[in-house]
Amino acid sequence: MDRPPRRLPAPRGSALVGTLLFLAAVAALAIFPQYVRKPYVLHMGVILFLAVIQGQAWNVVGGYAGQYSVGHAAYFGVGAYATMMLLELAHVAPWWGIWAAMAVAVLLSVVIGSITFRLRGPYFVLASISVAEIIRLAALYFKGFTRGAEGFLLAEIPPLHVLGHEIEFVGKRPFWYAGLGMSVLAIGANWAVQHSKLGYCLQAIREDQDAAHSLGIPLSFYKNVALAISAAFTAMAGGLYAMFVKFIDPNVAFGIDVSVQIVLICIVGGIGTILGPVIGAMVLVPLSEILRNPRGLVQVGILPPESRLVDFVEAHLSNAHLLVYGILVVVVILFAPEGVLGVLRRSAERLRRRAARRAVAAAPPSA
Amino acid sequence: MTVFLQSVLSGILVGGVYALIGIGLTIIFGVMRVINFAHGDLLMLGMYATWLLFAHLGIDPFLSVVIVAPLLFLWGAFLQKVFVNRVLDALPQNQILLTIGLGLVMSNSVMLAFTSNYQILTTSYSSASYHLGGLSISEPLLYSFLITAAITAALYWFLLRTDTGQAIRATAQDREAAQLMGINVRRMSVVAFGLGSALAGTAGALISPTYYIFPQVGGAFTLKAFVIVVLGGMGSIVGATLGGVIIGVTESLAAVYVASGLKELVVFALFLALLLFKPSGLLGKSRA
Repeated sequence: MDRPPRRLPAPRGSALVGTLLFLAAVAALAIFPQYVRKPYVLHMGVILFLAVIQGQAWNVVGGYAGQYSVGHAAYFGVGAYATMMLLELAHVAPWWGIWAAMAVAVLLSVVIGSITFRLRGPYFVLASISVAEIIRLAALYFKGFTRGAEGFLLAEIPPLHVLGHEIEFVGKRPFWYAGLGMSVLAIGANWAVQHSKLGYCLQAIREDQDAAHSLGIPLSFYKNVALAISAAFTAMAGGLYAMFVKFIDPNVAFGIDVSVQIVLICIVGGIGTILGPVIGAMVLVPLSEILRNPRGLVQVGILPPESRLVDFVEAHLSNAHLLVYGILVVVVILFAPEGVLGVLRRSAERLRRRAARRAVAAAPPSA
Repeated sequence: MTVFLQSVLSGILVGGVYALIGIGLTIIFGVMRVINFAHGDLLMLGMYATWLLFAHLGIDPFLSVVIVAPLLFLWGAFLQKVFVNRVLDALPQNQILLTIGLGLVMSNSVMLAFTSNYQILTTSYSSASYHLGGLSISEPLLYSFLITAAITAALYWFLLRTDTGQAIRATAQDREAAQLMGINVRRMSVVAFGLGSALAGTAGALISPTYYIFPQVGGAFTLKAFVIVVLGGMGSIVGATLGGVIIGVTESLAAVYVASGLKELVVFALFLALLLFKPSGLLGKSRA
């Protein structure tokens, strides 16, 4: 906040190429389940989409506005709980419930934001953590409302009727499409923020809060708007998570691990960019999922069933999949504070410069 | 009235250990301006070291402090030299994330080595207590409080009277000025991190007879340590001592008069209120 983070400009003239690549990627992902039906691959895909949505959501407030919230589990959990409770207790279908859950999260974000945005730097981080912890402890304690540590187990999602088709939410495929759609929405929202007045104001706040204020940018208003957008998409991810995993309890939904993982997705990928959270998710999710369930690699056919490696990982590493997160964040902070994306851009830049130099050297001297 | 006195008393006894955790965190913050999010995990390492010494060598948890504290000092010094030292000039967010990462590595490595099962360290006096005019004083809590008091006194003496202690305080007051006075601030940072880590480990050793021992136990203590340190004023050692006792008593009273499931919630709510209305803490002078 005090000093601007070192950032490298994106190569110019890449907007059109980027859009085309994005559309191609979405199209490829949309037809992907037609060809690959292995549940493990689809499962990992859905977890990946969840991470992308979470990362994009955090990016709005953490990346553009520079407000490092380590309490996003509050919104994730509220999204998960509201969607789940509406379905289980009031029989509201999740594709309606999730919007209500997002609205609840936005309301919550206004309350939390108006309290915590008065603080800066480490104090803001501590406040955001404690708000999420207060909600987790309350969810554990008020059993009459939230069922406490017992949590909610999802019985069944009703079929969705669209244009005469009936979609049954069984298996992984429907969730793949839901995750893909939501990821596109989240990326779109991020793009819209980045290319709007809002985005410029947020970045001004990130670079120098006091200077932004003196230019007449209302700090708390813009920070709150950023947090509201962020909270809405985080809650969306929470709702999808609850429906996909079919079980939530206060520790899974509101735990501090959730908040930390959300931040790490962005840090590892590169904050303040649209591609960053996507790359971060692509690095972190497969690693931690493989550690969590190495049998999947056998199912996919990468490793033979009697592989020693699978046995070893299953016996020793499967409950410690967060170890990867820890090691990666240490490595990234020490050696690549701009994230994987920053490293990629820098090496691309170096290659281009070297190529340019070689072209100059190869050209005949103009006499 | 007895209930009130009883809960204040046990609050003070627990608060002593909290103070130790808080002092460790505040020394690290004071010298390096780094908020150590791995503090609770250092405490967890102290608990496991104590448990191992007890289970395999039969060393009493309160005696094992003599071994655990130096071990954790070396470990903390190592962490500072290899990792934390490189981000001293980085953005505060990156410092926080680095220590979060180190904490994750520590807790998950312990989980790899000892699984996530709860371990219990039972001594002959674990559930014994003294009775004094209607009040009961748990023996392990009393011992840990007495040891805490002794360590805190020794620490004050070290910081106020020895050259190294004064150098640490000078570095905390003004890093550049200290450097100009010929103090090796880099070495002081290593010493401070080692010291903070040793204090966390000691606290872990002292609470191991009364708490469950498991790899994720640290998180709760990290948060509690922040509350204590902010309450007392970031960087203030007297403040952290006082803050520890206040939080201990608050928790204990909240458990009796509000609900035992809500005692931590009350503490966090208090913390938020404090951050908003007096962010410099009870004894702090300026906002860092």
